[in-house]
Amino acid sequence: MARKYREIGKAGWGYTAITSVVGFIYFFPVLWIILTAFKTRTDALAVPPKLFFTPTLENFTSVFFRASITTGTSQATDMGLYFFNSIFIAFTSVGLALIVGTLAAYAFSRYPLRGNDTYLFIILTTRMMPPIVVIIPIFLMFRLSGLAGSYWGIILLYTAFNIPFSIWLVKSFFDELNPEIEDAARMDGASERRVFFRFCIPQILAGLSATFVFGLILTWNEFLFALLLTGVETRTVPVAMARTLGGEVGVDYGLLAAIVTLFLVPIFFVTFLLQNQLLRGVTFGTVKK
Amino acid sequence: MKTRNVLSGLMGATVLAAGLGATPALSADITITMAAPDWPPTRFMKEHFDQTYQSPDGNNTTLDMDFIPWPSFYERVAASLTSGEQKYQMIVTDSQWLGAFVEGGYYLNLTDKIKEDPELQAIMQDLHPALVSAYSTYPHKTRAQLEAMGPAPAEGVNYYGFPQFPDTYVTFYREDIFCNEGEMAAFQAKYGTNLPCTYEDWQDTDWQKWGQIGEFFQRSAGEMLAGETLADDFYGIAYQAGKGYDFSTMAINAFIWQQGGDIWDESKMPDAQAEGVVNSDVAVAAFEEYLSYLQYMPPVAQTGQMDIFVIQDLYMQGKVGAIIDWVGLGEPVLDPSASTVSDKSAFGPAPGTRKADGSIDRTGNIGGQPFVLTTWNSDEVVNEALNVVKWWLSPDTQLAATANGGQSGLMSVMAMPEYNGLRPWNRAHVEMIDWQKDVWHIPEFFELLTQQQEEFDKAITGQISAKDALDAVAEFQQELLEDIGFIE
Amino acid sequence: MAELATDNLGTQGAARGGFGAWLLDPKRRGALLVTPAITILFVMNIFPLMWSFGLSFFNYKASSPRVPSFRGLSNYERVLTDDKTWERFQTTAVIVGSSVLLQLIVGFLLALMFAKAFPLRRIVLMLVLTPMMLSFVSVGVFFKLFYEPTFGIVSYVMNLFTTEKFVMLGSPAGAIAGIVIADAWMWSPFVMLLVLAGLVSVPKYLYEAAEIDRASSWRTFWTITFPYIKSLLLLAILFRTIETFKLFDIVYIITEGGPGSSTETIAVFLYRNAFQFFQTSRSAALAYIVLFIVIVLTNLYLYAVNRRAQEAN
Repeated sequence: MARKYREIGKAGWGYTAITSVVGFIYFFPVLWIILTAFKTRTDALAVPPKLFFTPTLENFTSVFFRASITTGTSQATDMGLYFFNSIFIAFTSVGLALIVGTLAAYAFSRYPLRGNDTYLFIILTTRMMPPIVVIIPIFLMFRLSGLAGSYWGIILLYTAFNIPFSIWLVKSFFDELNPEIEDAARMDGASERRVFFRFCIPQILAGLSATFVFGLILTWNEFLFALLLTGVETRTVPVAMARTLGGEVGVDYGLLAAIVTLFLVPIFFVTFLLQNQLLRGVTFGTVKK
Repeated sequence: MKTRNVLSGLMGATVLAAGLGATPALSADITITMAAPDWPPTRFMKEHFDQTYQSPDGNNTTLDMDFIPWPSFYERVAASLTSGEQKYQMIVTDSQWLGAFVEGGYYLNLTDKIKEDPELQAIMQDLHPALVSAYSTYPHKTRAQLEAMGPAPAEGVNYYGFPQFPDTYVTFYREDIFCNEGEMAAFQAKYGTNLPCTYEDWQDTDWQKWGQIGEFFQRSAGEMLAGETLADDFYGIAYQAGKGYDFSTMAINAFIWQQGGDIWDESKMPDAQAEGVVNSDVAVAAFEEYLSYLQYMPPVAQTGQMDIFVIQDLYMQGKVGAIIDWVGLGEPVLDPSASTVSDKSAFGPAPGTRKADGSIDRTGNIGGQPFVLTTWNSDEVVNEALNVVKWWLSPDTQLAATANGGQSGLMSVMAMPEYNGLRPWNRAHVEMIDWQKDVWHIPEFFELLTQQQEEFDKAITGQISAKDALDAVAEFQQELLEDIGFIE
Repeated sequence: MAELATDNLGTQGAARGGFGAWLLDPKRRGALLVTPAITILFVMNIFPLMWSFGLSFFNYKASSPRVPSFRGLSNYERVLTDDKTWERFQTTAVIVGSSVLLQLIVGFLLALMFAKAFPLRRIVLMLVLTPMMLSFVSVGVFFKLFYEPTFGIVSYVMNLFTTEKFVMLGSPAGAIAGIVIADAWMWSPFVMLLVLAGLVSVPKYLYEAAEIDRASSWRTFWTITFPYIKSLLLLAILFRTIETFKLFDIVYIITEGGPGSSTETIAVFLYRNAFQFFQTSRSAALAYIVLFIVIVLTNLYLYAVNRRAQEAN
């Protein structure tokens, strides 16, 4: 079943040069942000905008340390904790959504209920609601249940946000599999568990990776719920990032850029490592034969 | 409301069980959790508290500040309050939020506490009356009303907040340019009046001269400025004209008040009208004057995004000669790592409208933030919180705060001889604070503000005239305020 | 879109006694597998949704201690008769329409570019994928800086060609363009990924056959390539439309709805009503109207897609 990953034709280094130029232009705003991370405020706001400048690491230092107002000594900003929180919360919730979503997707694909499509559609609609509306009920609910400020609260919430997407994508992968193979396995006396783990899951691993990466991208930068539902101990980077947006000066471009740059690293690497699976996975699931 | 009480009880139990910041009764260990925007004036309060605070009642008190980023501060506080979280014992708040959160039952009325406590009375009487009016009273009493009613606590007045950071806007200007002899002579020759260079010159600067400065210093790249060739376009003046939050209202109100116009006056409820007041000819003329100076300001003025931070950046990067901005944004201007004009800046009072007698009216809209206590605390916590208030508003703390980039609201502290020398804008701040009034405090404040900012923004970006904008504002306010019964 | 599921209930239901056996009965296997997902969704999503649906029939203000009273459909009536609501919907439609269209065009062109194998493809592709890993907040902040007439690099480049200062956000049209460009830049890679996946799945022998037939490249594209990317393209439109409808941070940061109200999307309007004005009930009603519209649009869309698919077969 596993389709070979193919391209339309092959091209040489000349083509690489052309695509690099396009890629570079597309990447330019990101590059600008990364460069800004190494600029002083004056360089960041220089006219004309500066492509070449004396780099400083001060912004990166300020991500993790701040000077005390009264004594001038250096204090930790807890940003290390926030990075841990972001990584922990995002990976756990996306992973959880993937597991739970895969089980549900398998059921929707193999054991369709009456009105299967309606259920699937209702599940999708939960993603259409503007989040601002459910905030007050969720906030109240979190207070009552003591989930507010805890890791579990925000993890479960993010899991819920990722489930619709996971179910829809993963179900399309299961739909693509040939059920005859599974039936044949059952004839040979394989248990249901074995059919699921030994026959189905290995075939859609690429698709699962793709779903994971998509979920991660959609969760990684969530701001509003993180702002309201995390506490001092469980705060995530996007919330902590907001402190660079105004206060005594307007946007602290250098500091914001430094945080953005550091925060880009984990998700960039995950995407890079799973890139082939990402392409194959999406293909696999949704293209009809 | 019954259900709310049940909820509160449940919530309290949960909070206690989870050990989240609630304070057990009958214990001398008190934790005061305070919601505070994350910036130096509150960071200072926390650090200075840890270094100096001694509870007069012998309690072991912790001030646990929840530093929330400024841009999300309102959302976080509003969500916490309205959900019944009861997390905070003290809250830094914009004065305009008083109505919404007093009516919601979240901010503690301190009138009785002040009546019982001579120390607090002394503090209230030493606070500048403009600050008591803007930061503390709800329903709102104007300074004139308070002065007529006698010293605090006056009968029939409810008191809530104390200044955390009392802010006013002043003029930031480039001494190197405004005191350049060539420029001064050229300005004198062109307009027949002097280019303001010293503090005293700024005391005599009205809006007309402000416009002349704008016209005079509007130079293109390649032209000369103070003997040097400009690498980039330069502008003479800038003040706030932004769509966000209150970033044009604060400046426009000043023009309207100075020229004898008015906004809807909540202190004269329910007789005060919006129609005919808000869009009176005087108000329209004042707004037109405000708009007429925008042409001399940096091009971002055309987008309606020239907020308090944008003008600060333009100034710090040397693109504009003089701005009118909050004292609270002054500190970075003096910081050489952020500002190219750190050694060239001086400060003066903001311009105003010249009266028939030649004096200048500088009435302005107060900024800054008070802090308040919340309603769900035990007496023990409230009393200790008031000890913290007294510590904060003691002369020593206030002087230290001012030296570290804060401001004081105490008249006795502002009168100290060393005060003006502590920070370069202090003299201007003390002069300006006497002119301050405040915009509305009613719960519907945000609806009034948002609609008004939107109409102002249309006028600022040239889509409609000043009159159309104020007509739309007046009509909206009249309808809304009649709806809720604030206008009869 | 959901079809093809085959009914093949397993035969392995072990005959153990008691609750375990009841639970593991093959008849209930589907329901059992779905339960964890539905439970989480119900608690975290559906229940709060119903809560605010209930609120939409009262006159509840979250900031006020007044006991809310039942108001029937009056919130809906008020929202639907407010001219502002319709203006905001129009603005949203313009922004969603142009942004999704731009994402499709850019995403499609990028996908065509990356459909070939070439050296260092993995790395060049990463350059294009990065924008969607950024936060909305940082994209908003930096695009606003790019557009700033004095400091911005966009203005700087434009000023090389014009004598007047280039002021991107000064007019309603410019402000909408500014928002659309930022959003489309961020999310075109998403469309690209989906289209690319379709492109690389076209079996090679089809192209070889087309070559033998000397089919024009235009014809090759429509008859061979397009059918393979069609379903993915449709999925991309669906997801991007749903997400763009909720666009908030970028608008709020870049223009805050201005100039005037020309870029105030329904999401910003909703935010103001819910969080600044504390019109909790009214904003819930508005949100349900939004949800209703999105559901109707989605259904019409899915219906059209399915119908086309049936016609094609």
